[in-house]
Parts: sequence; structure tokens; C-alpha cells
Amino acid sequence: MEAQAQIAIDTFLRQTGGYVASQLEACTRCGMCAEACHFYEATGNPEYAPVWKIELLKRAYEQRFTLVGRAKLAIGVDKLITDDELLQFSKIVYEACTMCNKCSMVCPMGIQLGPLIHEVRAGLSAAGMVPQDLMKAVNKQLEEGSPLGMTDEVYESRMEWVADEWEVDLPMDVKGAETLVVFSSIEVMKFPENIAAIAKILHAAGEKWTLSQAGREVVNFGFYEGSEERTVLFLKRIFDAAVQLGVKRIVVTECGHAYDALRWTSYNLMEVPPGIEITHIVGLIGEYLRTGRIKLKEGALDGRTITFHDACKIQRRGGHIEEPRTILGILAPHSFRELSPNREESVCCGGGGGVIAIKEADPVRYAAFELKIQQMQRVGAQTVAMSCSNCRLQFTDCVQHFNLDVKVAGLSQLVADALIEE
Amino acid sequence: MDWNKILEFARGPFFNVALLVFVAGMVYRLVRVVSLGWSPDRVPARGSKAKGVALSFLKGILIWPFIPWVKGTFKRNPIIYLAGGLFHLGLFVVIILGTPHMLVWKSLLGIGWPTLPLPIVDWLAAGAIVAMIILAINRVINPVLKLISGPAEWLNLLFVFLPMVTGYMMTHHLFFRYEVLYSLHMLAVDVMLIWIPVSRISHFMFYFFSKAIHGADFGKRAVTP
Repeated sequence: MEAQAQIAIDTFLRQTGGYVASQLEACTRCGMCAEACHFYEATGNPEYAPVWKIELLKRAYEQRFTLVGRAKLAIGVDKLITDDELLQFSKIVYEACTMCNKCSMVCPMGIQLGPLIHEVRAGLSAAGMVPQDLMKAVNKQLEEGSPLGMTDEVYESRMEWVADEWEVDLPMDVKGAETLVVFSSIEVMKFPENIAAIAKILHAAGEKWTLSQAGREVVNFGFYEGSEERTVLFLKRIFDAAVQLGVKRIVVTECGHAYDALRWTSYNLMEVPPGIEITHIVGLIGEYLRTGRIKLKEGALDGRTITFHDACKIQRRGGHIEEPRTILGILAPHSFRELSPNREESVCCGGGGGVIAIKEADPVRYAAFELKIQQMQRVGAQTVAMSCSNCRLQFTDCVQHFNLDVKVAGLSQLVADALIEE
Repeated sequence: MDWNKILEFARGPFFNVALLVFVAGMVYRLVRVVSLGWSPDRVPARGSKAKGVALSFLKGILIWPFIPWVKGTFKRNPIIYLAGGLFHLGLFVVIILGTPHMLVWKSLLGIGWPTLPLPIVDWLAAGAIVAMIILAINRVINPVLKLISGPAEWLNLLFVFLPMVTGYMMTHHLFFRYEVLYSLHMLAVDVMLIWIPVSRISHFMFYFFSKAIHGADFGKRAVTP
């Protein structure tokens, strides 16, 4: 018996309830999902087909829970999962999948392949088969509180610098505030202007908000990795801070998977403290605009052709599809162009799901981005806006890599720049 | 060989046994999956799960994905969409709206219904057979399908193909005597009925699970499924 494989199998089986089993049973092996995957489309590698990415989960399920699976094992049509196979699939599900779940939109049976691939990652993570680069980041978050090295001191000095540089107020650990805002270290370390922008918006809306030293990192590398234990650990840091400060609302800033983890997953993994609403900054800005708490200069961005990239975790899997359209409808009523496909059908940037953290994934990551380039060129985009820093990291890196003449912008930044101060 | 005896066996005791295996097998599969347990979803919804589920099934019934301009993927994979769609359409029409099959249902369920004229059913049956051949060829050529196809996938195609092709030959009195073709058709049907519960042809049952899950997962996020 292969030791690592057994740990993975046990994890697969533990996760297999009706939700997983009924969807595995529904698969007809038609292969249509492949055509939805940006990694398959970009490379033509059949192993990147979403149906293949769940192969280990399917085999473990069949071998344990179905008569046919056992029969196949007995007559040698199927074999037990080996350690080598775990290694082989680790490359596929971590390096060539952003868990964007676009595949579920083309599956004629409607199977949620993204969440199933997450289960595959869970098994591989338990078996210690996470790619080195990703695991290093996980460990860094465990030890330093952030995968990007945003320790207590770094966070403090960085925030002080942002407050000075952009002359904004960044309230820290204010008890009794209404709203806790948690940034991602990507924003703090790479896009600090985002922090200033969001602070300006919150100020303009008259929000009683605070940051938290203990709950400073919204990024959750345990979630990328697929480890339930570490996902919960990182979530708890934020929830504990929220409870301690007595806030009624947690706002996730421009970070996609963190929003998925906090808003759409945490409740099923742990006891989430009651009475705390979780929302995304784009949802909050939408609310401010609806209720008239902030006003924006109409047509502030007209002139340059601007488009919007829908992030898989904030739009397709987050539901904030209309708000960015409302915002850009105000800012650029004449020069806003939709990418095709867009909204819930949008094609992923190629850098999410932890892919951008893995050096070995660079070739497929760049290849997948070429689809985005084609889409942007079709509408003649000069600026591309988005509401996810992970997407933005991928766009910024790829714009440089491919030497493109496109400006990459965070949506909050555009909103902040167009605020009408009263 | 006494084909009348074979026919009697194939449409009598063997058919009954096959039917029993089919029903019992499918019930077993259903119970097995359902009994694995369903953890409650405690995530507060932004939109309506029920609406998502309804829309998910509506799109399925309206064969939304087969409308060419709706899905970009159609452009890239027209063979699976068109051949798969044609096959299912032909199959449903033949086994529900073909007169001889309606009579079988009537004898099993006690109720009958109006059927379509033979020429329409016949053309759709021919279409379904051609579609199956195309799907089989595609399974050999397409790199993804090559990777994910094992013996079970090929047997699925074969065990559905045989009843269709023998049924078609029967209607047109091709090559063999009527009772020979009828016997072969019934034997093929019996084998298929036994094969369904141990294979992925059973997807017609789990379709209702995965489509509902899809609708609920999108609906609760207020996203169109």
C-alpha cells in the first residue's frame, strides 16, 4: 500500500457525501468541459480537461462506493491510486486550474467542476503533494501572518506610509466601528494606491470603519492549497478580530478567492460569529451609489476605451455582476465596452487559484492570458478595469511580459478618482 | 434454429428479468448515493436558490446550450453538441412517440398516448443512428475523449447502438427475416437494460441532481445559472 496515496484517498472519501457523489455519477464523459477551460484552450493539452482533473476523486469514489468500481479493481481494469499519480495530478490541478468554474457553465449536466477540483486539492494537500512554491507561501502565512511577508511591523509601517503619502485616514483597531475592512497583502505590498482609494471612498460615504492589526490579511493560502484546517485557521484570524472589535460588517477588498472563502465557504466549515455581514468592496460601492452616500463625476473616464474583466470569484462565483456595470456606466457611459464573453460567462485571467504563486506554472499562465489579450484587442481596450487584485497582478505581469499598451486599473481606484467631494 | 422460441424468450422471461434488474439496479444506485448524506448549506444566500434551480432546468429543457449563438463553446465543439443533441432527440422521440414503443409502455403502465407518424419517427431514428456513429468516430479522434475513454465508454455506445440499429432494420425489413430481427432487437434491448444500472447511461437519473445543484449554487449567489 502506498502511504501518501492512502491519505489522499481517505480525504477524498471523507469529503464524499451526496453532493460530490451525485455529481460524479452524473458525468457522462462527453468531454465538453474541456472547451471551457482556458488552460486547455491555450495549450491543447488534454490533461487540462476539467473532467480529467477530477479523475482521482472519481476513481477513489468508484473503488470504495460502487459495485462496478470494485469489480473493475478485482479484474484489473482499474488499479489503486499510486503516489506517482498523485504527483502527476498535483501538477495538473494546482498549475493548470484556477478553479474559476467556467466549466460548470458548459457542462450539459451542470456539474460544479470547480468545487470538485477543490476536493481533489484537499486530498493532495493532506498527502503533502502541494507544489513547493505554493506550500512555501502557505507556511509563510502560518508563521508571519501573510504569504507576502506582511508581518506586524511591515503592515504597520506600510499603512503609516500610505496614510502619509496619500493623506488619508487609516483607523486602526477602533472598537465599536461598524465595518472592518480587510485588505489583501497584494494590495498592501504591490498596489498601495488601492488602500488609499478605498479609504477615500469610505471617508466620503461617512463609514465608521477600522482596520485590524490581528486580522490584517484577507488572503487565504490554506484555501488555495485545499487544506480545510488551515483555511479555517486563517479565517478565524479575521473573524476573531471582527468579534473583538464588535463590528457588524466585514468588507473584503479587491481579492477574489478571499471573498469566496469568507462569504461563500466559511459558514460550512466553521461556526461563523452571528450578526456579521460579509460583503465585497464592489458590493459596498454599489450600495453607496444606490443610497446616494457617494456621488461620482459622470463621464469622468470617457475618451479612452475602457473595458471590464469579470473575476471568477467576485463575479461568476461572487454575484457582484451588476455593480461594476453601474459604476462604469457612470464613469464612462460612452467609452465602456464589454469583453466577449463577459459577466458569468467570462474567461478567467489565468492567474487565480494560487497559479500565479507557482513559478513552474508560468508558461501555462502566460499562454492562458493570450485569450484575454485577444478579447481586449477585439474591443480595442486602452484601459482594463477589474475588482480583484489577483487578476490585477496577473494582468500587470502579463502586460509587461507581452509588452502591451493597456492600462490596468483597480475599480476602486477609478471610483476614488471620480468622487465628488462635498 | 427456432427463432420463434428465441423471440418468445427474449420478449418474455428475459425481458422481465432485464426489466427487474434495470429497476432494482437503478433504485440501488439512487439509494446508495442519497444515503451518503447531505450536509446542510449554512451559507446565507444573496439570491433565490429556487429560482436558480427552476432556471437551470428550464435552460436544460429548452436545450439552451444547443442554440448556436448562446455559448461560445458551440463554435469550438459543434460535433458533440449537434450529434449529441440529435441523438437524444431521436432517442426520446422513438421510444416515447413511436407507435410500437408506445404500445410497450401501454402494456407496462396501462395508459397509452397519441404517437407521431412513422416517417417522422423513422427519419429521427436514422438521424440518431448516424449521430451515434459520428460520436463514436469523435471519441477516437478527440484528444480529450481519447484520454477519458475506457472499455466502459465503448460498451455504452455499443449497447445503445445495437437496439437502435436492429429496431431500424426491423422497421425496414432489411437483410433478415422479421422474427430474426425482432429477436435480435429484443435481445439487444434486454442486454442494454441490464447494462444501464452498471454504467454511465444512468446519467438520466443523476441529471436531476447535478442540474439542481448547479441551479442552487448559482441562484444563491444571484448569478444566472
